[in-house]
Amino acid sequence: MTVISPASADLKQLYYQMLRIRRAEEAIARRYAEQQMRCPTHLCIGEEAIAVGVCAHLTNQDKVFSNHRGHGHYLAKGGDLPRLLAELYGFAEGCCGGRGGSMHLTDLAAGFIASTPIVGGTVPLAAGYAWAEQMKKSGAAQGCASVVVIFFGDGCFEEGVMHETMNFAVLKQLPLLFICENNQYSVMTPLAERQPKRDIYKIAAAHGLHAISGDGNRVDEVYSLAQAAVNNARNGLGPQFLELHTHRWPEHCGPNEDDDLGYRSPGELAEWKLRCPLLQTRQTLLEAQLSDDAELTQMETRLAEEIEQAFTWALQGTRPTVDSMRQHLYA
Amino acid sequence: MHEVEMMTYGEAIREALDDALAKYPEMLLIGEGVPDPKTIFATTQGLREKYGAERVLDMPLAENGMTGICIGAALAGMRPVLVHQRIDFALLSVDQLVNNAAKWHYMFDGQQKVPLVIRVIIGRGWGQGPQHSQSLQGMFAQVPGLKVVMPTTAGDAYHFMSAAIADNNPVLFIEHRWLHHIMGEVDKQTPSAGLDGAALLREGRDVTLAAFSHMSIEALKTATTLAEHGIDVEVLDMRCVSSLDVQRVAASLAKTGGNLVIADCAPEMASIGHQLLSKLVLAHGHCLQQAPRLIAYPNHPVPTSHFVANHYYPGAEQIVSAVLDMLDRSELTEAVIGALQSDLPKDQPDRSFVGPF
Repeated sequence: MTVISPASADLKQLYYQMLRIRRAEEAIARRYAEQQMRCPTHLCIGEEAIAVGVCAHLTNQDKVFSNHRGHGHYLAKGGDLPRLLAELYGFAEGCCGGRGGSMHLTDLAAGFIASTPIVGGTVPLAAGYAWAEQMKKSGAAQGCASVVVIFFGDGCFEEGVMHETMNFAVLKQLPLLFICENNQYSVMTPLAERQPKRDIYKIAAAHGLHAISGDGNRVDEVYSLAQAAVNNARNGLGPQFLELHTHRWPEHCGPNEDDDLGYRSPGELAEWKLRCPLLQTRQTLLEAQLSDDAELTQMETRLAEEIEQAFTWALQGTRPTVDSMRQHLYA
Repeated sequence: MHEVEMMTYGEAIREALDDALAKYPEMLLIGEGVPDPKTIFATTQGLREKYGAERVLDMPLAENGMTGICIGAALAGMRPVLVHQRIDFALLSVDQLVNNAAKWHYMFDGQQKVPLVIRVIIGRGWGQGPQHSQSLQGMFAQVPGLKVVMPTTAGDAYHFMSAAIADNNPVLFIEHRWLHHIMGEVDKQTPSAGLDGAALLREGRDVTLAAFSHMSIEALKTATTLAEHGIDVEVLDMRCVSSLDVQRVAASLAKTGGNLVIADCAPEMASIGHQLLSKLVLAHGHCLQQAPRLIAYPNHPVPTSHFVANHYYPGAEQIVSAVLDMLDRSELTEAVIGALQSDLPKDQPDRSFVGPF
């Protein structure tokens, strides 16, 4: 396999996007204790490289579906940050008008169709969306103009609907990317208690997908693997599967760390923190003299301002009216 | 002058699918067996040949996944009609139907919609047994956001299928297998009544008979026979299960003196008839003159053996007994039931039906 490294400008941009998600998640975590964001919130700190490395190859015409841990996917796809925050606060200006909270996000203009929290729930929807796109494009000279991406975790791979969807995706050669974020834990249950010892991506390969695994904490690697996968899907070579290894730092749901609970192996979290996707990229940027401390500090300042402004906007949101609660049962 | 065509209920569904495939280029017809040689009891006959394999297609045996795939396609602008030859198979897709299809428009604040029709077939007889003939309309009708209809006549089958496909919401379209062969009038030009309201199948003064799906046919049989004895039964077909036309039943009861018999094709404990009664009493407290009667199936699965299954399903005879008891005319019961007797085996809808489905 030829690994195409992102160009230096791209790597800086990838770093910036990861940093943006990290700082936004940290700000959410800090303010969560104020008890104003009253919804289950699953932070993706530690896993930012996957969302960023994949979405870097997507256009507005490409669509993304996601799961309960969806902030990173939403932001990487260009989802509106202030409206995400307003959604967490339950305001009418939220991306779902306050109806969804953290686990139900959408930004149609950005091509982020939806995230929902039933594990596996959006997997077939992504395939259906890709199928429709393929039918609309049928007759086009070459391949598909747009691709669809579904993000899910290792736990989702245990769901029947996952395999039903892979079967259909291969049958119809859909322009679809399956991105498996393998963080080894379903809530607090380790992979070894849920799956026999074998590679997830090899099962996807047995379904007939073009499947490969990689280091989900190296954004350059994710970027390269995703580039090939997106191109393949776009060029009509059928569904692609990436299994990317990573680790979630905070508790499964909520703003805190939970290493004291002891469900992770001793030292496991500390080891993963040394392999922080941001830290690794930062080192590369500095060592290769693609950036310097001044520029990186500038990035921090710019992001701090953006996030602060986003919170200010979100907190000025309006309460959805009680009357509005009855709306939109039917289209 | 409208052209009224005579056709069977099954043919009416095929006509509606045919017309909708012509009208909506984004419509898909998909399901296990849709293009196979038996074409879902002939309801999909000729459609693949006419509209192509891309739009009229079979599917993997993956009911939940395929329901989600159809939802995804609907979000992208398609109008899928997904067919299950048995409602029992749709149980595998309850996650996608309840968690996604029914809630999607609401959950995303009206920004997205799911124009999806799920065709399911319920039935009785010929040994369909515990897992091939359940009647789950009551269960599905309890999900907010899901429209559940079960038309009884050929005319309603055509118009309801057309309206369901045109609808921008998920619609569960329930067909009773014993209706497929029944002839009726279809006037395609009649303006669509949408997916609302009960249908008046027969006017009457003495008793209101509110019936569901195939039990409406049994109710009509009852009414015809009772008319010979001077008893005048009004028959309402409660074709919209998730939006019960309580108003129409109440209006009928005002005419019939508050005598109500409900006939449903479902186990008593799962009958939507209870919902109808509850809504009636809550909204029209004094509409009933005496305790109403609910004719439904026993609260256990149906066994396959026809020797016992024939005693599981109620029909016109049970309705007659209830009506006559209610009117204090039980002395007629034996004579009326005698007149209803037929030498047709009870597990067959008519002589043309020789199994295996």
